[in-house]
Amino acid sequence: MPALLKFLIRRLFAIPVTLLIITAMLYGVLMLAPVSARAQLYMSRGESNNPNLRPEVLLQQIIDSHGLDDPYPIQYIRWMGRLLRGDWGWSPGFRGDVLKALLARTPATAELTLYAVILLIPLGIIGGGLAGAKEHKAADHIFRIVAFIATAIPSFVLALVLLGIFYAGLKWFPLGRLSISEHYIVTGANFTPYTGLLTLDGLLNGRPEISLSALRHLVLPCITLSMVHWATLGRMTRAVMIEELHKDYVTVARGKGLKERLVVWRHALHNAMIPALNSIALSAASLITGVFVVEVIFGFPGVSEVVVNSMRGAPDIVAAMGFTVYSVLLVMPVMLILDVLQAVFDPRLRDTLGEQ
Amino acid sequence: MTITRRFFTNWQSLLALCIIAGYVIVAISAPWLAPQDDPQNPTPMRLLPGIRPSALRVPSPPQPGAVLGTTPGGWDIAYGLIWGARPALCFGLITTLLTACIGVLVGAFSGYLEGAVGRLLMRVTDAFLTFPAIAGIVLFQCAFPLFLRKLQLNPIMLALIAFSWMPYARLIHANFISLKHTEYAMAAKTTGAPPLRIIFRHLLPNAITPAIVLAARDIGGMVLLEATFTFIGMGAGLPWGALLVTSRDWIIGAGGNPLIYWWVFAPATLVLIVFSIGWNLLGDGLNTALNPRGRR
Repeated sequence: MPALLKFLIRRLFAIPVTLLIITAMLYGVLMLAPVSARAQLYMSRGESNNPNLRPEVLLQQIIDSHGLDDPYPIQYIRWMGRLLRGDWGWSPGFRGDVLKALLARTPATAELTLYAVILLIPLGIIGGGLAGAKEHKAADHIFRIVAFIATAIPSFVLALVLLGIFYAGLKWFPLGRLSISEHYIVTGANFTPYTGLLTLDGLLNGRPEISLSALRHLVLPCITLSMVHWATLGRMTRAVMIEELHKDYVTVARGKGLKERLVVWRHALHNAMIPALNSIALSAASLITGVFVVEVIFGFPGVSEVVVNSMRGAPDIVAAMGFTVYSVLLVMPVMLILDVLQAVFDPRLRDTLGEQ
Repeated sequence: MTITRRFFTNWQSLLALCIIAGYVIVAISAPWLAPQDDPQNPTPMRLLPGIRPSALRVPSPPQPGAVLGTTPGGWDIAYGLIWGARPALCFGLITTLLTACIGVLVGAFSGYLEGAVGRLLMRVTDAFLTFPAIAGIVLFQCAFPLFLRKLQLNPIMLALIAFSWMPYARLIHANFISLKHTEYAMAAKTTGAPPLRIIFRHLLPNAITPAIVLAARDIGGMVLLEATFTFIGMGAGLPWGALLVTSRDWIIGAGGNPLIYWWVFAPATLVLIVFSIGWNLLGDGLNTALNPRGRR
């Protein structure tokens, strides 16, 4: 079996363990809350809507029928079973099934995350690599200043500046995911959502103008999102690059008479990328946090919509719990992709982890 | 050169110390810089004197009485920024300190114990790494709304502490693994030093420097994150973020002119950004002082 495949399988097996730890902890947190909070998770649509049931009667009824007095492990396993069966609860906040609502909004979030990652990885690695190769030269100083400022600016400030200039001022890029008229085309009968990603679906349906419009809507959120992480990735790449360029193999490569361009971009950068990719894989969760923040600011109809209303109004524990579990599920594939990318560039990692 | 010499001869640390000292001075001298005219109002927000909240729909520009203008509703921006320094510093320091403590303890024990317990601790750390802080905020706020309000706890602070200790744990863990088998650690063990003494007296002082650098940078980062979450409407916010929230609709300008209401936006964000730059520079300065040839 190729080592990379083995590595991938290893990684896939680690996912359920992580999920188990996280969900056990989540339900543990919920056990600390009053029982009425937990009871909401089990409330069905009919029960929640029934005006004839008094709240305390309903609460007692749910506690009895779902065994909410049982010890923690039993309750946890029961709740986990419901999650696995796809019954994530009925949210009184936005009056709907939580899982369905989350899944319906997934493509938007996935598209945003995808383009941001595609934008930020090459930019971070090339920028950091360039700065590292030209240490203490003009390019390096410019990179360091830009990266430093980018880490110090909160994402919402950057978003607002971009909005002020390009949306309110120049009117180049719109808000949301599509304009209203295009939204009708997309939801209409003649448009098949093959992937859910509008930029791809537009092309697949032979409507390139939809793709183009979706892309225009993605520009500002993607720039905002990649900026902060670009800076972290770039600074990391730069630091490792400088270290690599002082190593013996680089001296040997130079001594052999290899072109400087080859030494830097083929030899050193290849090795510098690995720790840099590792650092970005470890911050995948903060990338997803960033995605949700950006969604809210740009009015992008992604997964965060499910909880935003319950944050401003009455707390909706069903939506919150669904969102929490779901966001962990969202981080994992991102982390996995970055891990695999790292293994592609680092044969050592593949081998050691594959054999463990 | 000693560590102190290296620290104080570095322009980054000096600039950082100046910035941070500036914020601390403003925080301490807030009662003199912006006298409270209403002793009944403990919040760091003040209405422009002589104005009814409903009277101001539009932000009003800088004027005598409100040096930096007001947000819509008549909240004095300069007053909020000055009085906001205290909560921001407290928030940053407390959150970072608790985060670092949790991370360092987890990392130290998992690194020292290695075996099954150590592996489990690292697994838990890795599991926490997949958890976005924003989900933690949502969860805490929805699960314990009454509890949090009663104890005056900030759900954002809780969530940030609970979900940002992992980098510390990983750093300390890695350092402990390599330090554990050094001769001096073995010697300490041979002389019969109890494990806790080895961990805290012998290993931790040698392993902690990267965590200190990380913590210095985090103080600014935590306050930025808090402001971000406050801005998108998640949880009770600190004044700097809250000021921006009250003028949310006016920040991107009106009528195609993005700069028309610059005062609701520029001073507050500048205060935030400089705050974060100060702590980041402190981290860089500490880094140069503590490990002169190290990476990062």
